[in-house]
Amino acid sequence: MSHIHIDVENLNFSYENGTPVLKNLSFRASENDSVGIIGANGAGKSTFLKLLVGLNLNFTGSIRIEEIPLEKKTLAKIREKIGYVFQDSDSQLFMTTVGEDVAFAPRNYGLPEEEVEKRVQEALEKVHITHLRDKSIFKLSGGEKKLASLATILSMTPDMILLDEPSVALDPKNRRNLIHVLNEFEHLKLIASHDLDFIWDTCNRVVLVNHGEIIADGSPEEILRDGELLDANGLEKPLSLTGR
Amino acid sequence: MSKIGQAISEIQSLETISKEDRRVNRIHPLSKLILTVFYIAVTVSFHKYDLPGLIGMAVYPAAVFMIADLSFREALRRLRVVLPLVMVMGILNPFFDRKIVLMVGALPVSGGVLSMLTLMIKAVLTVLAGYLFIATTPIEEICRALRIIHIPKTFVVVVLLIYRYITVLLSEARRITQAYQLRAPGQKGVHYKVWGSLVGQMLLRSMDRANDIYDSMQLRGFDGDLRTGEKKALTPLDFLWPLLWGAVIVLLRIFPVVELLGGLFV
Amino acid sequence: MHMADALVNPVVAGTMYAASAAVAGVSVHKVRLEDNQKKIPLMGVMGAFVFAAQMINFTIPGTGSSGHLCGGMMLSALLGPWAGFLTMIGVLLIQCLFFADGGLLALGCNIWNMAFYGCFVGALVIWRLIMKNGAARWKIILASVLGCVLTLQMGAFSVTIETMLSGITELPFKTFVAAMQPIHLAIGLVEGLITAAVLLFVYEARPELLWGIGTPKKEAKLSLGWTLGILGGLALLIGGGLSLAASSLPDGLEWAIGRITGSEELEAAEAGIYAAADKVQSATSFLPDYAFKGSESAAGTTVSGIVGSLIVVALLVGAALLFRFFRNKKKETVAKN
Repeated sequence: MSHIHIDVENLNFSYENGTPVLKNLSFRASENDSVGIIGANGAGKSTFLKLLVGLNLNFTGSIRIEEIPLEKKTLAKIREKIGYVFQDSDSQLFMTTVGEDVAFAPRNYGLPEEEVEKRVQEALEKVHITHLRDKSIFKLSGGEKKLASLATILSMTPDMILLDEPSVALDPKNRRNLIHVLNEFEHLKLIASHDLDFIWDTCNRVVLVNHGEIIADGSPEEILRDGELLDANGLEKPLSLTGR
Repeated sequence: MSKIGQAISEIQSLETISKEDRRVNRIHPLSKLILTVFYIAVTVSFHKYDLPGLIGMAVYPAAVFMIADLSFREALRRLRVVLPLVMVMGILNPFFDRKIVLMVGALPVSGGVLSMLTLMIKAVLTVLAGYLFIATTPIEEICRALRIIHIPKTFVVVVLLIYRYITVLLSEARRITQAYQLRAPGQKGVHYKVWGSLVGQMLLRSMDRANDIYDSMQLRGFDGDLRTGEKKALTPLDFLWPLLWGAVIVLLRIFPVVELLGGLFV
Repeated sequence: MHMADALVNPVVAGTMYAASAAVAGVSVHKVRLEDNQKKIPLMGVMGAFVFAAQMINFTIPGTGSSGHLCGGMMLSALLGPWAGFLTMIGVLLIQCLFFADGGLLALGCNIWNMAFYGCFVGALVIWRLIMKNGAARWKIILASVLGCVLTLQMGAFSVTIETMLSGITELPFKTFVAAMQPIHLAIGLVEGLITAAVLLFVYEARPELLWGIGTPKKEAKLSLGWTLGILGGLALLIGGGLSLAASSLPDGLEWAIGRITGSEELEAAEAGIYAAADKVQSATSFLPDYAFKGSESAAGTTVSGIVGSLIVVALLVGAALLFRFFRNKKKETVAKN
């Protein structure tokens, strides 16, 4: 039996002004899952991902990451296991060069400089951007920034990665490249997106969220081909499945 | 090009030049920083009538421009910020200081004219020296030098972050003003009725961005301390370069080198 | 208002560096005491924001010109004066390095003239005092305009003093002040209004972001007319006090004092400034001045000086040309091979 990596039970979360965002959400994901979390704007996808890495602890219910309950004192431990890729690469990449940014996490975890060096090299190789190492971030293209963002979390050698709208603002070539890179990463992936073609190409499981609740959970075949279901939740069938 | 576009391209071109592989770029940033400040301080310390002395000081920028093979024109463009201001300060000197201090042939030169000239030359030389520093030293290196002289980390991290996000926010400011201009043709600047909302929106977005950045830092183990790697080994040039130039500068300041040279021909 | 390196001498620059560094040291300490890691990225991004926002031109109604935002006041109203001051230093450092706006030597002066007054007089004193009992629209306008006008007047006056002490200009002190202060009164008013507009927007959208807002005791309702009245009065008072006093009034003042006391005290005061300038300048000569020990001897020696200058210029230009020639040749041969 494969290992349960993420175990969420009865998760409730509201904004400070009381607006509920997530309602009684339960969810499990195991080692080899590649889960697409889909839903229209404001469905609660991003909030869900942010809660999983403990960016907000004002929730009720329970979140367990690799059996460890998510709470203030386990934050550091849990964050070592999860990589989170922000929607806006410019927020993710705050150092001046790619190499320095990729080295940021390993250095913070107190690794010796040789090990940091090794991690940086490996991470850059995984996303095929070793040539960009000394380049300034502001000189990168949108696609390069996205890959660099991915490298900055791969250097932590996480057990799972969460991606928030990874395909936004990527041209077709960069998009295909990203799909390729993601499919090479064998661990658990959670991808929040309303780009259903992208989900189709990267995920083996799809969770449909609307108004903070899970509406459907199944294989991409099942959900992404169900035009009625998607339509009822503010989404549209992926182009590659419409047969046009 | 718009003012904002110009600023963006200026940063980008400096970034490129400072990361090119030349020997001067590889010299330790602290050596270059100390040399630059020393050169500027000595240059401005010349007496206001000492034209020959200041001409002699041109040796340093001239030589480094040649050694480093940098574009002189690029550096001169930077004078457009400084010169007008210095001009304003100096232009009236000839009217107030009419004492004749020098006869060039039959032409009397007043102290005011001389002091105006030396002021201009000081402006040019100091700006050139500043350019030589920034064109051969990337900002990360400058910050490394600041750390070595014990400038607090909190401040150095802030400088790096400002630098990192200047281009991001300049691009945003450009988008905003362009979008504004497209809908308000013929207006030179932003109308007062939207002063607050136009910049205010940008400000709130920037604050949200800062939040995201903090989240991103936290998620990667940030604890308030920014760690940077690589300590390059010092090379002899790191010492020789500032010492050699320091000696030349002191020499030019203490002895009337230029005048002695002229004396040979007069 | 950025001072260039050429406008200061090493003693003035060093003194201002020391003063600014001392305040920066205290600020670092204060920011560390807050122990708020979140503040660091906020300072970085807000510094970049101020930099970018200062590039936007705001049309001043009724005139063809445009104004900009006041950085020190703005940053301090959002980050507090200590963090605001450090952020401003960062902005000024980057401006001087990358845009030759200011200079490495004059940085200490620029920090003092722009960041210190804006953050500490503008925000720590004026903004905080006015916001003591809670914020309101009129208070934000009042604090911004008052803060900007006052801090710019102080900044402009400091520029004048620093330039005079550096012995850069032959301009009589009075004339210099008379030119600087009124211009900066106008600039201060405009910057204050722009800054107020932005802060008002923040106040309405996310009031919790503003720094130094006390708890309201009683909502003091003030009509717009009253606000404008008070504002106008205060601006006039301060502008008049500082700026006009410096421009048209000094002669009047001098005349008045002269009549009352029958003495020329003001001239003595002015002479004092020149004496101080002389002192600073002679202290600057940490290296001896060879040609100008007595200014009479200057004329005699400098003819050879001029000849020497011409030779040096010719040599440098010649060297540059030769250098270029050989380099191109080298490139050609490399290209051929």
